Amino acid sequence: MDPKTQISPAVPSEEVDPPAGPTRRQFLAASVRLSGGAVVFLMGAAASPNEGPEKAAEVKGEAYNWDEHRYAYLVDTSKCIGCGACVRACKAENQVPDGFYRTWVERYVVGMEDSHVDSPEGGLNGFSPIQVGFPVTKSFFVPKLCNHCRATPCTQVCPVGASYRTKDGAVLVDGERCIGCGYCVQACPFGSRFLHPVTHTASKCTWCYHRITKGLRPACVTACPTGTRQFGDLRQEGDPVRQAIENDRVSILQGHLLTEPQCYYLHLDKEVR
Amino acid sequence: MEHARHVFRVALVLIVVLVVFFLTRGFLVPKSYGLYGPYRFDNVKEQMNARAPLYAGAASCGECHAEEFAKRAGGSHKNVNCEVCHAPLALHVKADGSVVAPPVDRSFTLCARCHRRILGRPLKFPQVVLEQHVPGPVQGKVCLECHDPHSPKI
Amino acid sequence: MLEISGYAFPNDVHVTWSLMIVMYPYITGFVAGSFIVTSLYHLFGRQEFKPVARLAMATSFAFLLVASLPLQLHLGQPQRGPSVMITPHFTSAMAGFGILYSFYLVVLLLEVWFVWRQEIIERAKRHRGLARTFYAVLALGTYDQSPEAVEIDHRAIQILAGIGLPAACMLHGYVGFIFGAIKANPWWSTPLMPVIFLLSAAVSGIALLVILYQVFARVGRRPVDAEAISALARWLWFFLILTITLELLELIVMAYERSESWLIISELITTRLEFSYVTVQMIVGGLIPFILLAVVVLMNRFLHERVRNTLSTVAAFLCLLQVFSMRWNIVIGGQLLSKSLRGLRSPYEPEAFGREGVLMAAALLIAPFVILWVFDRVLGIEEAEGEDGRGEAPGTETGSAPSPTA
Repeated sequence: MDPKTQISPAVPSEEVDPPAGPTRRQFLAASVRLSGGAVVFLMGAAASPNEGPEKAAEVKGEAYNWDEHRYAYLVDTSKCIGCGACVRACKAENQVPDGFYRTWVERYVVGMEDSHVDSPEGGLNGFSPIQVGFPVTKSFFVPKLCNHCRATPCTQVCPVGASYRTKDGAVLVDGERCIGCGYCVQACPFGSRFLHPVTHTASKCTWCYHRITKGLRPACVTACPTGTRQFGDLRQEGDPVRQAIENDRVSILQGHLLTEPQCYYLHLDKEVR
Repeated sequence: MEHARHVFRVALVLIVVLVVFFLTRGFLVPKSYGLYGPYRFDNVKEQMNARAPLYAGAASCGECHAEEFAKRAGGSHKNVNCEVCHAPLALHVKADGSVVAPPVDRSFTLCARCHRRILGRPLKFPQVVLEQHVPGPVQGKVCLECHDPHSPKI
Repeated sequence: MLEISGYAFPNDVHVTWSLMIVMYPYITGFVAGSFIVTSLYHLFGRQEFKPVARLAMATSFAFLLVASLPLQLHLGQPQRGPSVMITPHFTSAMAGFGILYSFYLVVLLLEVWFVWRQEIIERAKRHRGLARTFYAVLALGTYDQSPEAVEIDHRAIQILAGIGLPAACMLHGYVGFIFGAIKANPWWSTPLMPVIFLLSAAVSGIALLVILYQVFARVGRRPVDAEAISALARWLWFFLILTITLELLELIVMAYERSESWLIISELITTRLEFSYVTVQMIVGGLIPFILLAVVVLMNRFLHERVRNTLSTVAAFLCLLQVFSMRWNIVIGGQLLSKSLRGLRSPYEPEAFGREGVLMAAALLIAPFVILWVFDRVLGIEEAEGEDGRGEAPGTETGSAPSPTA
């Protein structure tokens, strides 16, 4: 009863990864550095001095260069068990307000003639047993999040350029410049965006930019117990996500809209939009 | 052209307004705007430092909790991140190193979220109908009476 | 209470574009529509519109001054609104607002100035003290009333009308583009959207003037020119036919093609939008004024003036209703359906009070008429042929100079 079925190259969980997840000391150091110094881009500029000398010794040389990365995300829907750990982790990590979702999980219950989809509170507390009024042939979960599209309509329609795409592939919103017009929310074909009820600016999944630029993975990936969610770097040789995208049959959501999503799906069903 | 004097005056007013606008605009455009695209480049750094990471992954738990870590590594929960059931690291160990006891839900609700049989889960995934699986009533910490969450398979 | 039928994406249950975003195209529709009417006289020289031309221009101006307010009221961070002018992101149609609005404001301001220049000079000469300074500044210190100057004014007006007409059309057309270019929303996404918006803007502008002209004339104790009403009714009828045709065409093509969004859209129309779309927009606002105006236009010769005016006015009111419901159905209707194409949310109920509420919308609609009244007091809308323009308050003296502290 091995919970992990090896269907496609899966990213092993954190501790058996060759570049292992951060040790506690490194993790804390990263957090402290964050409150003290600033990470500088390699644009010919020297790295800024760190606050504590011992911290500097450990994180020396970690100035982040976005030219070296191009991130992608992979979801294997055949593994998702609908536990909602990802939704809870994202909510805690990013302080997502109640009733809004940076990521969510949908359940599809499908028969030959009919289908039913539900996502109670985005899957925050998992799913309950369900009865449907038709014979069910298959059912599955589909995690969803911002696709960080390469040709995204959401940055195209932002009237002030508050929404933009970084060189390493993340689509972000500048909370200081967003005017809260809501155009990007309308333009997103996937329903990934919302207007934050407190700041009244646009908000969405950032691929945990504050984590991935420090070598960590997004909180949802870290929390996923089955290896459904994987995060990778298309610029790294041998990256499992890159290999999956290059070699396996992958799908994307609403491909006909040509937004070029950077979240790829394995084993996506025709019912999923 | 003498009769067009008013037209020239209007044109002058217009030019003055335009000049004032562009001058003012020059002061109001953020400094890092436009460096890499039509956005404020400084925000990229701000986003990188937006908050301290909360989750750390199981490896960082193992440093202090070696016993549980080893037990887990040998069991069927070896790929389940500790923080899924327990709190994320940053809520347990503060930046200055002090330790706060994390909340943990030991009731059957936590286990049921993954292991109750419902439509949607892959068939090979271990899931049970709780009422049939548990000899008595399904309440409280009933799962822990038989299963060790760090190595649950019996 | 929020109810979802079917499945909606978890973030899709909020209506972010509220009543204010329905008001904005409604108001800019009046701006563009009135300007079309005034251009029919000032640019194309159609004499039958002369009695309405000045009022139309003043109306366009009054609504233009109010036009940016619904947007400011809607923004999540209104104090950052000016960013659209300072760092506009030109791939966004919404960024066009800054340029188009400012440009058209300048053009219309100039045109109003040239058209009313003689009045300004007259009043500058007539008044003393603060009022005189005010008018003198407005006249930019030149008091040239010679025939050559007037001739130059007429040329300028023509040129400005020539620039202003496409500018007004773009000012309203870009709003249609904002909706039409969203591929994510199948209710909005169509190349016809800017055209439909513009044509219905013409409908709303002409309809408003049908009513406003009669009210204004009645209050000022001037006769209502039958030719003007006939012409307005005729053009209203044409634009109404075009608008309804295109709106129906969209629906027919969608139904025929039966692409993936058709199922949820037909559910949207038959459930959530049944009253506002079928009843109000198409029947009460479309079919009935079409018939009334058909009578007015086709039987023009046989109609008594009273009948013509009444029919036109009733039709005009219904057209105003039609255009409002069309804006509502597009803005709100498009947000009632989820991008999952599997679900609809319950109808949007605007709040009564509050920044984006019904009371605010009513105030936004009343404000341009207040501005018109002030305009009339300050400059006089109709030409001063020995009598000053009158405000809408009845009982104002005729033919006497306004008080020095006007």
